[in-house]
Amino acid sequence: MRDNIRDKFITILFCVIIGAFLVVGSYRLVNPVKTSEAERRPLAQLPSNVTWESIIDRSAIEKTESALTDQFPMREFFRTLKAEFKIHVLGAKENNRIAVEDGYYAKIESAFDDRLTDYSIGRLVYIYEKYLKDNGGEKFVSLIPDKNYFFARDYGYPGPDYDNLRDKVQAALPGMTYIDIFDTLELSDYYRTDTHWSQPELAETVQRLIMMMNPELVASSEAHVTEYTEHRLEGFDGVYKGQISLITKPDTLVYLTDPVIDGCTVYDYETGKTSGIYNPELFERADQYDVFLAGTRALLRIDNPNAGADKELILFRDSFGSSIAPLMVDGYKSIYLVDIRYISPDYLGEFIDFSGKDVLFLYSAMILNQKAFK
Amino acid sequence: MLFSSIGFLYYFLPVTLFVYFIVPFKLKNLVLLIASLAFYFYGEPVYTFLMLGTSLSAYIHGLLIDRFRGTKWSRVFLCSSVIISVLVLGFFKYSDFFVSNLNNIFGSKLRLLGLALPIGISFYTFQTLSYTIDVYRGDAKVQKNFISLATYVALFPQLIAGPIVRYTVVEEELSSRTHSFGNFSYGVTRFAIGLGKKVLIADTLGALATSLHAMTQQTVGGMWIYAIAVSLQIYFDFSGYSDMAIGLGRIFGFKFLENFNYPFISTTVAEFWRRWHISLGSWFRDYVYIPLGGNRVSLPRWGFNILAVWFLTGFWHGADWNFIVWGLYFAVFLICEKFFLGAFFKKLPTVFSRIYLVVVILISFVIFNGNGMNGVITDLAALFGIGRVSAPAMASASAGMAARTLGAASVTAAGMASEAVGALTSVAQATTAAAASIASATATTTATATAFASTMALPLWSAETSYYLSGYILILVVAIIGATPLCKNTILKIKENEKAARIINILEPVFVLMILMLATAYFVDGSFSPFLYFRF
Repeated sequence: MRDNIRDKFITILFCVIIGAFLVVGSYRLVNPVKTSEAERRPLAQLPSNVTWESIIDRSAIEKTESALTDQFPMREFFRTLKAEFKIHVLGAKENNRIAVEDGYYAKIESAFDDRLTDYSIGRLVYIYEKYLKDNGGEKFVSLIPDKNYFFARDYGYPGPDYDNLRDKVQAALPGMTYIDIFDTLELSDYYRTDTHWSQPELAETVQRLIMMMNPELVASSEAHVTEYTEHRLEGFDGVYKGQISLITKPDTLVYLTDPVIDGCTVYDYETGKTSGIYNPELFERADQYDVFLAGTRALLRIDNPNAGADKELILFRDSFGSSIAPLMVDGYKSIYLVDIRYISPDYLGEFIDFSGKDVLFLYSAMILNQKAFK
Repeated sequence: MLFSSIGFLYYFLPVTLFVYFIVPFKLKNLVLLIASLAFYFYGEPVYTFLMLGTSLSAYIHGLLIDRFRGTKWSRVFLCSSVIISVLVLGFFKYSDFFVSNLNNIFGSKLRLLGLALPIGISFYTFQTLSYTIDVYRGDAKVQKNFISLATYVALFPQLIAGPIVRYTVVEEELSSRTHSFGNFSYGVTRFAIGLGKKVLIADTLGALATSLHAMTQQTVGGMWIYAIAVSLQIYFDFSGYSDMAIGLGRIFGFKFLENFNYPFISTTVAEFWRRWHISLGSWFRDYVYIPLGGNRVSLPRWGFNILAVWFLTGFWHGADWNFIVWGLYFAVFLICEKFFLGAFFKKLPTVFSRIYLVVVILISFVIFNGNGMNGVITDLAALFGIGRVSAPAMASASAGMAARTLGAASVTAAGMASEAVGALTSVAQATTAAAASIASATATTTATATAFASTMALPLWSAETSYYLSGYILILVVAIIGATPLCKNTILKIKENEKAARIINILEPVFVLMILMLATAYFVDGSFSPFLYFRF
């Protein structure tokens, strides 16, 4: 190619590219996309009410800048292009703080924020002091390691100090028995593209919990594990897939049933409705993990008419609890599932009689590293 | 507005180009002025009027200096112009610095003004200063068209982060310039190079520097990598901006002078500053250093001139002591090079002077990037192994020291025992004594370690350091190679062959397209960041 042809070609190429994106981008600004399914967030739109003050203080300009970026044509293509370039060409360890190893994605955190963990633990202590101290039941607490625990341990990533967090939880809740489940889990027990664990991989974890909480059921539950029926939902795109934006095959979400689980009912205190444990119809939602106990619900009660005992359990939990709770129903007549991210502990007494009931605080360590609890 | 943003690249630029190229030449400056004001207004709505006022001041002073040329009034108007420019710059950029220092010195409680720094004020103030001084000196013709002068001051390609374009450089082009496919193509390619430098290299190195600086336990190795990352980040950030500015200028028919010339291959600090931020260095040379007498003065006066120029150079970069120290740090090396270092390194193979220069520059950018003087001291200490040791590392260090003490105590015990051969009681006593010594040594070790926690030697390396290095090693290598003329020279060499030159010509648009798409991908994913030199 001669110099003059090159010059013309570059000039035309550049003008066509920026001109085309100007036209299509302007169209998109007028006809905006409301949400990004991959990122699970609303996309910014042009400010609807622009005043002189909003221009002078730049708020309108910043909103416009966000809209120009969020509404840019071929947004997902560009996000994937960046991720593939950064990870596979530059050899970066992470994109948007999501790392990938052996096909598994994990959010990299190098440290827990003491202010946040102290706050979260403080809320658990508050519940203990208010409802549990003298309720007469057995009380347990357990932490779930995030995938970044295994990334740090197995691949040399920086990771938060889990030992210190465990020590803090135990020290703050001396009246509760700490159940260590870290050694029952491996990275492969989690979904590749999601933060959550996979229900069929939880046999050992369930065994550990039951052994500590309900020892008489251990033998029967051991036998039980093999009797579950697997239900597979293809096309599970976990939360990290959208964040890292690499090209990757989706996971297969699996949930387990047996006659006992099938016989259970779930009462939702918010809606007053009763349903089953699993909600496969919610697999079409943005958060496909909502299949388990309908996702983010403040207060649920699983009733097991086939329970062999009268024990009841109050499970303070996050979304990890939604998938493990069904595997624990065998030993309990009722399991109350409380998510204090969505209900203030102050109101729990109005719905739950704590006396004589067993209690388990089961939380992902990363939930404690947020100001998520009410 | 940022060059490295969706708003600029895909909205502002195409609209501006379209309007600019369809209007007749006599309206092109007006289009550029309006576009430049819109560009500035988007980032600094209020301060747009300040910039216009600065332009108006320069315009009026230029007219007055020219009108009264040959009389004392010409000098009066020059002084007035300089004083107004310096006062405006001082007020908006340095008032809080002076107030806080007065408060520190006299214990007063004067209120800080808390003014936001007008973007690019240091650059456009220096441009207007150069204009009025050059008109006074007769080096530039007075500009009688306000739109042309305001276009020069506000010209968006170089408005907010340089290079500092002197009026004399664009004087003729303001009234007559050519537009061609050659200029446009060169401008686009140069812009793409700058975009790639900024988005793909500088911002990535910035992330590495941030991560290393924020490690739970800093290490000596990590801090030196931090120094490399920061130095290269600042270079690629600023030279990338200059490339974009030069490229955009060329698209609109302006030929700005080069601002960087591979400074890291220098062998002396003096050479480094002939290659780094050339427009600033030459500005201080022509408007401060030479008027002060340059080097044709007595030795003490020359020393003063050097210190004054480098004090101002540092201070120009920021209203904080670390910038002043940064400037004076270079002055010290320039003086040393003049007297003995230059001659010393001339006797040695070039590799030694290159190593010297790199080490001096790495340390300089740690000073430059420090968070105030406290931050600078902490960072410099960490470079040389002194720093804060985190609790887990402390425990580990204490355990290590205790273990070493245990080992020593055991040896002592063994020695004591061997001296008491055949006497079991003696052995028992020796063992007891050794045990006591172990306990005591351990306690002492722990107490000492705790007491000197803030001044303990940092570990040389850690797994976390390895982790960050491994994730950024490729971009570091690319940046190091890119900071040398190796690629440029290789391409020029290849182009000497006609066939190879044609292949390069085919690859050039591919390169431009690739950089555009990748930069766009980075913008869309929300990972762009402002240019470092915006704060100046």
